[in-house]
Amino acid sequence: MPRSSPPDPAHHNASRSAAGVVVSVEDLHKCYGNRPAVAGLDFRVSEGEIFGLIGPDGAGKTTTFHILAGVIEPSGGQVRVLGLPPREARERVGYLTQQFSQYPDLSVEENLRYVAGLRLVSPALWRERRTPLLRRLGLEPFADRLASQLSGGMKQKLALCCALIDRPRLLLLDEPTTGVDPISRRDFWDVLATLAEEGVTIVIATPDLVEAERCHRIALLQQGRIESLDTPAAVKQGLGLSRLELRGAASAAAEPLLSGGAIVDVQTFGDRLDLLVNDAATGEAQVRELFRRQGLPLQELLVTAPTLENVVVISQRRRSGELPLLPFPGVQGSSRRRADPAIAARGLSRRFGAFEAVRQLTLEIRYGEIFGLLGANGAGKTTTIKMLCGLLAPSSGEIVLAGESKLLRGPDLLRRIGYMSQKFTLYDDLSIRENLEFYAGVYGIPGPLRQPRIDWVIASCGLKGQEQLLTAKLPGGWKQRVAFGAAVLHDPEVLFLDEPTSGVDPLARRQFWSLINAFARRGTAILVTTHYLEEAEQCNRLCFMVAGEKVIEGSPGAIKAAQPGQVLELVLPQDQLQSATLLLRRHWQPWRVSRFGDRLHLVLDDPEREVEGLQLLLSQAQLSLEGLRRVPHSLEDAFIGTVQRAQAREGGPR
Amino acid sequence: MRRILAQCRKELLQFRRDRLTLGLAFLLPLLTLLIFGFAIRLETKVIPIVVQDFDRSPLSAAYTDRLFATDQFRPARWRGDDPVADAIDRGLAKAAVIIPPEFSRRLKAGQPVEVQVLVDGTDTNNARVIRNSIQGTTAFFLSEKELLKNPPPVQALTRLWFNPGRKESLYIVPGVYAVVLWIFPSLLAAIAMVKEKDKGTILQVYASGIRAPELLLGKALAYLLVGVSMAVVVMGLGGLIFQLGFAGDPTPLLVGTTLYLAAAVLFGLLLGVRSANQNAAVQGVSLVGFLSALLLSGFIYPLSNIPPPLSLVSALIPARYFIVISRDAFVRGTGWAGVWLDVLMILALAALLYLLTLRSLGSLQLADGGGGGP
Repeated sequence: MPRSSPPDPAHHNASRSAAGVVVSVEDLHKCYGNRPAVAGLDFRVSEGEIFGLIGPDGAGKTTTFHILAGVIEPSGGQVRVLGLPPREARERVGYLTQQFSQYPDLSVEENLRYVAGLRLVSPALWRERRTPLLRRLGLEPFADRLASQLSGGMKQKLALCCALIDRPRLLLLDEPTTGVDPISRRDFWDVLATLAEEGVTIVIATPDLVEAERCHRIALLQQGRIESLDTPAAVKQGLGLSRLELRGAASAAAEPLLSGGAIVDVQTFGDRLDLLVNDAATGEAQVRELFRRQGLPLQELLVTAPTLENVVVISQRRRSGELPLLPFPGVQGSSRRRADPAIAARGLSRRFGAFEAVRQLTLEIRYGEIFGLLGANGAGKTTTIKMLCGLLAPSSGEIVLAGESKLLRGPDLLRRIGYMSQKFTLYDDLSIRENLEFYAGVYGIPGPLRQPRIDWVIASCGLKGQEQLLTAKLPGGWKQRVAFGAAVLHDPEVLFLDEPTSGVDPLARRQFWSLINAFARRGTAILVTTHYLEEAEQCNRLCFMVAGEKVIEGSPGAIKAAQPGQVLELVLPQDQLQSATLLLRRHWQPWRVSRFGDRLHLVLDDPEREVEGLQLLLSQAQLSLEGLRRVPHSLEDAFIGTVQRAQAREGGPR
Repeated sequence: MRRILAQCRKELLQFRRDRLTLGLAFLLPLLTLLIFGFAIRLETKVIPIVVQDFDRSPLSAAYTDRLFATDQFRPARWRGDDPVADAIDRGLAKAAVIIPPEFSRRLKAGQPVEVQVLVDGTDTNNARVIRNSIQGTTAFFLSEKELLKNPPPVQALTRLWFNPGRKESLYIVPGVYAVVLWIFPSLLAAIAMVKEKDKGTILQVYASGIRAPELLLGKALAYLLVGVSMAVVVMGLGGLIFQLGFAGDPTPLLVGTTLYLAAAVLFGLLLGVRSANQNAAVQGVSLVGFLSALLLSGFIYPLSNIPPPLSLVSALIPARYFIVISRDAFVRGTGWAGVWLDVLMILALAALLYLLTLRSLGSLQLADGGGGGP
């Protein structure tokens, strides 16, 4: 069995190698039956380190966590947690499972108390720790609320709270921020950073690669093996590529032309193109030459460093290859590009008892457009999508769906729309082909088109030859693709996608989006909800919802441009980031300061005047500012800023 | 010990929150008690019979009156001269008594008379009851009218002990306690165990460092307490409604009930540990529970009638021993002397269930086959 090279302890972060080793894993193997889940892992995690496990579904992350937490025995290899076998170290380890595993029918306090009891926290210690801990995670006002009534972000904070009650020395966090809105996610990471500074060791898995940049070191996992293991900066450098961001009116038209030469990869976003090139200078020259020859306008060309997502996508693709983008069988839907809106809603409201889930929402989505609905958990996204496709009657307001305003559930209309929900809509106990045949029958797809379309789904999911596999055996990302295939079998005019990519790895997510783009080009109107902000960049237009109301709408570029103030990106040494964050938050309003990967973002209204003060402030605190530059607002900056300003207007602090 | 208490307190909190389990714990047991206590009668009362009197004398009328004087029979609607066999065929009467024309004259002359009695034998139990009852009434009629010239030399004088009025509720209700206090506590415990798997919280429990006996005892203790309060409610209301009081020393019942509830809870936990999801657990517990507590426990069908291989199975059913204890406490009143072995048997079965459940829990880790995931 081939082994990945064990990390050289002297190689990574010299300041940490002196500290104690908290987790050591040598040649770890785990098989389920004949299927290897983990095939030879080697790594060490030192005290106070945030160590990220990054990889697609089925790479062996959850199995590794199970083993470290002592809930499953490895098939081979050596594992030591705090110098002990994992089972014996359980009492010093806190574990957040991927699925929320606190009790939904107990209150915050009762959950915490239960864990304290299991962990043998004495009553005196309990009294001493309870309030500060709840306060630290912002849960103190909600101590009596049932866990089931918490938002996704608060649930994860509760889980963290429970893990922290016994002051563990090691925290195992298995995708703790999946399904959590950006603001809670940022809070969560801030807490983790503080904990690490206090000496708690953290092993964390995340599908969000912007988040992953906040780890001290990351291990990229592929099929149970470590592909590379280093600091995020070194991993990105190891790719040996540069990234070009292109903005121009005709960027979509340019995409098929951009290949060969220095260009390794092209990706379309809503209003820009991202290129990966072997060498920045030759790549830039090649692009400029191409645009000049084709007579295409090029508004902006930025040379930047590749992101972690680039690294993961490239390395995954080297392994598994790109899936083909095949033409969808059937008549080209050109007749569909009509002027009338595909989805129109005016003054849409929905109340559940006294609670107003959606308030006076007005939207218009055209054919061929990808429209993104963004918002925190509980902002009303799913309620909106359910009303728009007729699954839920609005309390007031009008809806016009594909020209129909009355019978939203009429059989004619149903055949013209497609819907894919957050939960898998496939039958686990049917094979992939049987599932597709079932949906083809339900939608009444005419006989001659049926087989070609089913074959199309199977081929574009890369599942040729495996169509007899039971759907239950597919990993999440693949299931989502098949579910998408099932939702578009009948070539709908309007497509609703409710968080289609939550928990899907970067390459799968990207392939998913190229499918979505292909349907938009056919003239299908697509409404998609998401809380991945990097994903929202792929939409033509976006709408942010807060507490059931639309707070801002426009193209990603327009939304970012509309943000007040200027974002400054601060580069500091890794070990000073946390104290710098705290310092800046004391000086400016907390929302203006956010960690962004391994950088700090600070939003200033008048940078000309304030920059000097900033530099003085940092140097007085003995913090060395290594870099300072103006950057455009990211969508995350825009989202957090918009939401917090909206909440501030309503008068309530978060 | 502190972990056990923490586990127990959490279970009770969850129990209190859930309306479904509260209903399962208090409403359904009471309903079951009422249904069994009122609706189920093994012995039929007020049986419709036809009397065809061809004699039409004062004596034959007196005989007819005597038949209907017991509260057991009522006259069926039937015209006197139609063939009585039809009444039985049509299900209007369960029995027919035909008094011959010479009835009065022959009796007075001291000659034997044959009264024909036709009984519907479909329901064998009741047919026997009807036959005995008509024979008894006839004998009573003869001695009352002093028509017996030579009383038989041997007479059996029977006296019913413990339940002289043959009140059927005295027989049924203590048995219902056994059924109710088996099924509902075990159902609750099974749900509590399997819910952790359904919701994924079991991983957190595994990772917390709690040991299997602590987990098991914590859950068992919580549902034992629930079971005890259920027993107090059910037995208290049952006593009031059906006028059941203690017939003797109540301590065997106190000890026996506690042990019995523990066995029920452990049985539920065992099935909860073994089942993959809540549906399987609920179906398993109710099917096995009803079959064993109702059919193989001696609640309705006498244990002595169960043939050998099955009777071995019934020896493993705690309900059979609890029924003995419960009937003794409310009807017989012999106390420890009569039921010590049954109490011991329940204790032994509870211990066996505990060990089985502990073994099934294993080392509190995920199994390699199922829970693996990605």
